[in-house]
Amino acid sequence: MSATAFRQVTQDRSLYVPAGLFLVLLCAVAFRGQGLFTNNGLAGAILVATPLILTALAITPIVMAGRGAVDLSVGPLMGFVNVTLITWLVGNGITHPVAIIAWAVGLGAAFQLVQALVIIYVRVAPIIVTLSGFLVLSGVNLMVMSRPGGVAPDWMLSWGAGTSVFSPVLLLLLGAFAIWGVLRGTMFYRNLRMTGADERMAYTSGVQVDVVRIIAHMVGGVFAGLAALSYTALISSGDPTQGSTYTLQAVTALVLGGASLSGGRGGALGSTLGAINMFLISYLLSTFNFGTVSGFVTQMAFGLILVGSLLVNVFVISRRTVA
Amino acid sequence: MGSEITVRMIDVAKAFGETRALKKCDFEARAGEVHAIVGENGSGKSTMAKIMSGVLHPDAGKVTILGEKVASPVDAKRVGLTTIFQEVLVADEASVFENLYVGRDGVFRSQSTGDRRTEAAEILARLVGKSVDLDQLAGSLPLSIKQWIVIARAILRKPQVLILDESSAALDLDSTLRLHAEIDRLRAEGATILIVTHRIAELVRIADRATILRDGITVGTLGKDEITEENLLSMMTPADRRASDATEYASRKKALEAPLILTATGLAAHRSARLFDFDLPKGSIVGVAGLDGQGQDAFIRALAGIIQPFGGEVKVRSVDTDKMVPLRSLDDAANLGVSYVSGDRKREGIFPQQSIFENLAIGVYRKKLGPLGVIRKPTLKPMFKREVDRLRIKIGSPSNRITSLSGGNQQKVLIGRAFANDPQVILLNDPARGVDLGTKRDLYRELRLFAEKGGSVIYLSSEIEEFIGFADRVDVFFGGTLFRSLTGEEIAEAPILAAMFGKARDASVDFDLERTA
Ligand SMILES: Nc1ncnc2c1ncn2[C@@H]1O[C@H](COP(=O)(O)OP(=O)(O)OP(=O)(O)O)[C@@H](O)[C@H]1O
Ligand SMILES: [Mg+2]
Repeated sequence: MSATAFRQVTQDRSLYVPAGLFLVLLCAVAFRGQGLFTNNGLAGAILVATPLILTALAITPIVMAGRGAVDLSVGPLMGFVNVTLITWLVGNGITHPVAIIAWAVGLGAAFQLVQALVIIYVRVAPIIVTLSGFLVLSGVNLMVMSRPGGVAPDWMLSWGAGTSVFSPVLLLLLGAFAIWGVLRGTMFYRNLRMTGADERMAYTSGVQVDVVRIIAHMVGGVFAGLAALSYTALISSGDPTQGSTYTLQAVTALVLGGASLSGGRGGALGSTLGAINMFLISYLLSTFNFGTVSGFVTQMAFGLILVGSLLVNVFVISRRTVA
Repeated sequence: MGSEITVRMIDVAKAFGETRALKKCDFEARAGEVHAIVGENGSGKSTMAKIMSGVLHPDAGKVTILGEKVASPVDAKRVGLTTIFQEVLVADEASVFENLYVGRDGVFRSQSTGDRRTEAAEILARLVGKSVDLDQLAGSLPLSIKQWIVIARAILRKPQVLILDESSAALDLDSTLRLHAEIDRLRAEGATILIVTHRIAELVRIADRATILRDGITVGTLGKDEITEENLLSMMTPADRRASDATEYASRKKALEAPLILTATGLAAHRSARLFDFDLPKGSIVGVAGLDGQGQDAFIRALAGIIQPFGGEVKVRSVDTDKMVPLRSLDDAANLGVSYVSGDRKREGIFPQQSIFENLAIGVYRKKLGPLGVIRKPTLKPMFKREVDRLRIKIGSPSNRITSLSGGNQQKVLIGRAFANDPQVILLNDPARGVDLGTKRDLYRELRLFAEKGGSVIYLSSEIEEFIGFADRVDVFFGGTLFRSLTGEEIAEAPILAAMFGKARDASVDFDLERTA
């Protein structure tokens, strides 16, 4: 798998910056201290970074489908799955793993299906639809659960222990990669790229752009469900308030990973790299002592590195010769 | 064989809001024929093509393709109808290969049989005349190659019915011949080919029949022997606004003796090309010709300040100081009164999200600023009306989006934009792409008037017959450099052609082009 990833990085120019940044950050982290490269350190890192990686993956196919369809609802959607899981399922004694996983994945996909249908058939700009989704779900989450609380099912408690690298959380992540890997091998991936790159061309050439868009959303929904599971494992409870943070971070990760918000360009590898880079940045900053302002410093660093990597992309890598 | 009806439209109508693009359209085409659809800009040809392809749905009437109804592009693909649309639809972010096979497969499953890459490489090499790297991004390619990609995409589908909506408009002479060879091949295999074109010479050469559209109504069908310029024109245009006659102007040697308004020295289109000089006398019309990629395109864009030439310098006489001032950027061009009209309207012409009015007036905003830098819109209205009338642009409301206009009318808006600037030099880079014959003649007349009033014109065209009786001098490019300047008697088909192929002055060109008759 890492061999194919390596080949992708060398072939796809949009991955140069995120991959470069990844290497730089890795060196910096190694230089600042060894904490990350121990069994416990890595296990904890996977636990903390997985929800962000999965939310970034959740918006990737949707953004790739074009029309400027950045899915803002992804954070609150993850929160929605989280709070309903704790309140409605666990609260009513339903704790079987199959039921929990099916609920998470099914709810994510169903919500995205609704959004896709509205975008396609009501012909509203996607960003408006997902913004509404964001607002509605943010409210609904607080109605389902007014303050953080509840407990995750027993079997999930051990997931969040963070003592082993090969935890079930890692399995969630690998499961998501596997789904993406299978899709990448089908025609769907190419249809998705072409739809995002030029929808009119794709449509007139006989691509079923509506079907492609619906599937892109539903795949995103499945990833959002997996993200919610990893998030629930991380906090071992329900929290109705964290959704909006995740939306903004996922979009940042996506752009850091080299995807184009106007569609057609992007992929799981880039988004994953973007999310990992964000994790590394905050990890790196936490090794310095910024005291009470450390949260602000981290946000500022995200912003600066985002701008910086876009500039490098524009001026160094994708500079086209004027024909 | 070869005579059953494959495409049939009965009483078809289609309106966009107030605009009735098609009013009553009846049409029939047979297997094994090349059937042309002819009409003025905005007469409804592209609308007809889109209805046949299932992209648009008719308001009334019946359409059958190979006996079936086509309600979407997916249906069209299934029955074997392929359309090359007027807008060159290429995804810039995707590779050439992906662009060639877009839409060929199901949502998940590939319909692939055989080796697509070899097939694609072969067909592109045959069409373009040289091999094209399948893995490069399409966005970096020139318009003519993009046009070939779209054509190759269609041919790779082995269509039963092929519609070409002005697909030769971006191609040079040599390429047009290769396209015709391809069309001949498909016709011989029994396909139905529908072509939309404003190039009469092309029609006469290749069409078996022609159906004429006027203002959304099909007014008749001509057989092979009846397809002549007069017949077409008289059917296309209502008698009351028939286009001005094809006036042939004498090439004015005198105009070439006027003082120079623009000079270029030591230019080269690319690093290895021979350096050349160029000059433009005030009040003259200089034509620029050449096969695709011989440097003429880069040359005219360098004059406009869009790109930097490899070395050399462009100078223009300043209106204020009467001195020659260097032109290095778009800003210099605007200050020195140099206007540019591009034939690649999608990439360097229109603002697709803006209104027709904005698109035409944008260039003059900076001259019409009131206090506080606010644009004084009312002062622009008369100018807008003048240009719309002069070029007979067929528009609904000026506040509609420019993309609601037919292709030819969009092009006219760009030409209007250049005139609206009151420039002293107009550079036209194949401006008549997709513009109908009547308007072309109007355009020549307007440019002539402009030149007689002291304006200067550089006119690049891919159709050499456009220069004859119009240009005072024709500069032909070959091998990245100015190969030969022709004046007077030499402005005729044979000498221009010879120069385009890099031949000596009196060599004859051994194949007959377009005007075989
Ligand atoms: N999407 C649209 N919205 C509004 N009006 C439209 C639209 N598409 C076409 N029209 C109008 O319909 C008429 C016919 O347009 P069409 O594109 O079929 O002309 P055409 O014959 O192809 O012209 P050209 O030679 O310039 O390409 C024009 O008046 C045009 O303005
Ligand atoms: Mg048209």
